[in-house]
Amino acid sequence: MALLLGSVSTGAALAQDAPVQGGTLVYLEQQAHTNLYPPAGGFYPNSGILNQITDKLTWQNPATLEIEPWLAESWEINADATEYVFKLRPGVTFSDGTALDAAAVAKNFDTFGLGNKDLGYPVAEAINNYQGSEAIDPLTVKFTFKAPAPGFLQATSVIGSGIVAPSVLEQPYDELGDATKIIGSGPFVVESEVLGQSLNLKVREDYAWGPPNIGHTGRAYLDAIQLIVTPEDSVRIGALLSGQADFIRQIQAYDEAQVEAQGYLIHSAPTRGVNNNVTFRPENPIVADIKVRQALTAATNAGEIVSTLFSAHYPQATSVIASTAAGYVDLSEKLAFDPEKAKALLDEAGWVVGADGIREKDGVKLELSAYESLPQPQNRATLQLLSQQWATVGAKLNVLAGDSGSATQDNLDPLKTPLRPAMVGRADPDVIKSNFYPTNRDSLLQKGGTNPNATWEDPALNELLLAIAAEPDTKRRLDLTADVQAYLLDQAYVIPIFEEPQVFAGAPYVRGIGFDAVARPSFYNVWLAPR
Amino acid sequence: MTTTIATRFGQAVLVLLLAFTASFLLLQALPGDAILIKYQNPEMGLSPEQIAEIRLRYGADAPIWAQYGNTLVNFLQGSFGYSVQAGVPVNTVLAANAWPTLRLASLALVFAVLLAGLVAFAATLAPFNWLRNALQMVPSLMISVPVFWLGIMLIQLFSFRLRLVPIINPSEFQALILPVATLAVPIAAPLAQILIRSLDEIETQPFVAVARAKGASRRFVLWHHVLRNALLPVLTIAGVLFGELLAGAVVTETVFGINGLGRVTEQAVSNQDTAVLQAIVVLAALGFVLINLLVDLLAPLIDPRLNRPVGAKA
Repeated sequence: MALLLGSVSTGAALAQDAPVQGGTLVYLEQQAHTNLYPPAGGFYPNSGILNQITDKLTWQNPATLEIEPWLAESWEINADATEYVFKLRPGVTFSDGTALDAAAVAKNFDTFGLGNKDLGYPVAEAINNYQGSEAIDPLTVKFTFKAPAPGFLQATSVIGSGIVAPSVLEQPYDELGDATKIIGSGPFVVESEVLGQSLNLKVREDYAWGPPNIGHTGRAYLDAIQLIVTPEDSVRIGALLSGQADFIRQIQAYDEAQVEAQGYLIHSAPTRGVNNNVTFRPENPIVADIKVRQALTAATNAGEIVSTLFSAHYPQATSVIASTAAGYVDLSEKLAFDPEKAKALLDEAGWVVGADGIREKDGVKLELSAYESLPQPQNRATLQLLSQQWATVGAKLNVLAGDSGSATQDNLDPLKTPLRPAMVGRADPDVIKSNFYPTNRDSLLQKGGTNPNATWEDPALNELLLAIAAEPDTKRRLDLTADVQAYLLDQAYVIPIFEEPQVFAGAPYVRGIGFDAVARPSFYNVWLAPR
Repeated sequence: MTTTIATRFGQAVLVLLLAFTASFLLLQALPGDAILIKYQNPEMGLSPEQIAEIRLRYGADAPIWAQYGNTLVNFLQGSFGYSVQAGVPVNTVLAANAWPTLRLASLALVFAVLLAGLVAFAATLAPFNWLRNALQMVPSLMISVPVFWLGIMLIQLFSFRLRLVPIINPSEFQALILPVATLAVPIAAPLAQILIRSLDEIETQPFVAVARAKGASRRFVLWHHVLRNALLPVLTIAGVLFGELLAGAVVTETVFGINGLGRVTEQAVSNQDTAVLQAIVVLAALGFVLINLLVDLLAPLIDPRLNRPVGAKA
């Protein structure tokens, strides 16, 4: 059980009591969910719900990162990873009573992999090179790919690949904001919802198909989960500490001590993907010069950011991806804090310190801007501290906090925002491609990506990224992952800052809380000990 | 009277149309739009072509006059479109949130009137001059307390420390106590201030002196003569108070995590959820129009002089 926990600060000694069945867990969320189409599960509030009501074909063991059976009992992958055949577990039903069979699985992945223009479904981020599916018999389904798709097996385990009843996918994408419409096969069922305010989940008595290694079989211990959206930080914490709530999401690092001092537990789970970072947009003329990017990397003191603003639950980054991620290599020497080196590089690049302490070149000031990213913990404070650090070598960073319309629009323009904070969680090497490849998240704003006016691209990087997503040999794939981490830091495209966790707090009597490989909570094993 | 009502009705329709048009134009002028904000999000990982398709489907890049016409026709048919952010029809959003806000706002208004009356009477009738002066400052104090802070303090004190009212899973009645109190305080402040002022002013009028000379007590005069006259200015700011109630609801609902139009508005603004904002603006305009109509119809009942044609006094 302890392996399932990301890290629990105290109270683990009590974990051996026998689980008790029954009770309602009161869970406080920070934000309302938006859309519960499974591939939209990247947004924390969406995944917090989806993880309870949907099951996946496979289970990624959060302790070993191995892919284990779940709804699929076994699978076969051809040598170049272009064909996958899954054998499904018999007897699985959706909560409306219909069978979870090969046809249902095929329909799900056709929608995830290809999208649905008529109904407005976008293509799922985790699925690459998808071509089509075939239900060979009621319990056998085959997927084919246009090019090798070595990440697909892991992609069947992610929150975005939760299997829903085919009838769900026949409704317009726009209407899946209504949680009661999401019919899954998970251990809990949406019983009722007050839109934007609360959601009641009820246990499925007949549930018998959890992952074999998750800890128990049969129905979940809890009878129900009451999810209440409570936006205000102090109200969530106060409600927990006064016994009105059992478990809450999103604790700021500066509140952790207060929670722990009263005997409550902090649960911090790693998201195991691309670290919390700032990414340069090299199309901007100032940061087009690699020396400037290298200088700003050397001027960044990530250790100071972590120790000043965060807690022990936020490890300092030592590469582009987290140390708990697949394919990680330690590149901390490339990220060493060295202000003297930074100054020397800026001198070399021709940036001269002006009267106001800000460097100048050809009448242009070394002044960059970035919009704060609201979903990332204390991002504004992080950028502001970064700005102070850079100021000591003569570079100015403006931290912008515009409305979301301006922020979205300006973030597409490398001249306005030469820098952008980013992070993405997924426990597969494909995550690097997700963050940097132009047709995915496109952090660098390359040609062919989200910025229609972009002219800049790095073909060498893109080739490496594509290779990771299409290399069937595991060993070779991890080598490529190491190469691309080194390449990104050698080119100084990105400055990783810390490994971003998702931090929760719970009452001491809440036992058995589990997290998937990317920090999404699972309440299947949770039980309430007598208080 | 019929012509008056017909004219008022015509004015109301015009006001609503103007509110609709102005909000439409303002929302168009903002940088970005709801579709951009939702789908350009890097988490969606969509290509420019996919986003262009989505924009086409929503009609987001249609000429502005066509969008205006479409939206207006839909509104007239009672369809407010889709909330891009929440992924449900705007009608569903409104249905789930209008009643809680209406209930919160009307209870807060009632409570605010009582509170204002209490403060005003205390400030007028209190025995000592220094006490009256002190009480007269209470409204300024009430209005300078930030609603946000007040809400959090009430929760911390009454729910977390004294454990009198739960904030999570309260009964229907408990759920209203703290939010109503939070919302009522800033509304009560201007009401109390105006009431104090007009009580003071009317007390100096000759008819009060006459009544006092006849031997009526201070309290009797206040109840029977002054109050009726002092109510009119209070009533006329009801329209302004309605706006205050809506603004207060935004903060109150967010702090207390209860659903309502205020919270919906706050989220719609940050996501530029145009369809939702448009519907809320028109609803709010409708509220203002109705309240002003009501005030105009009620005022003559309180002060019959308002019914007489102008100039008859002379």
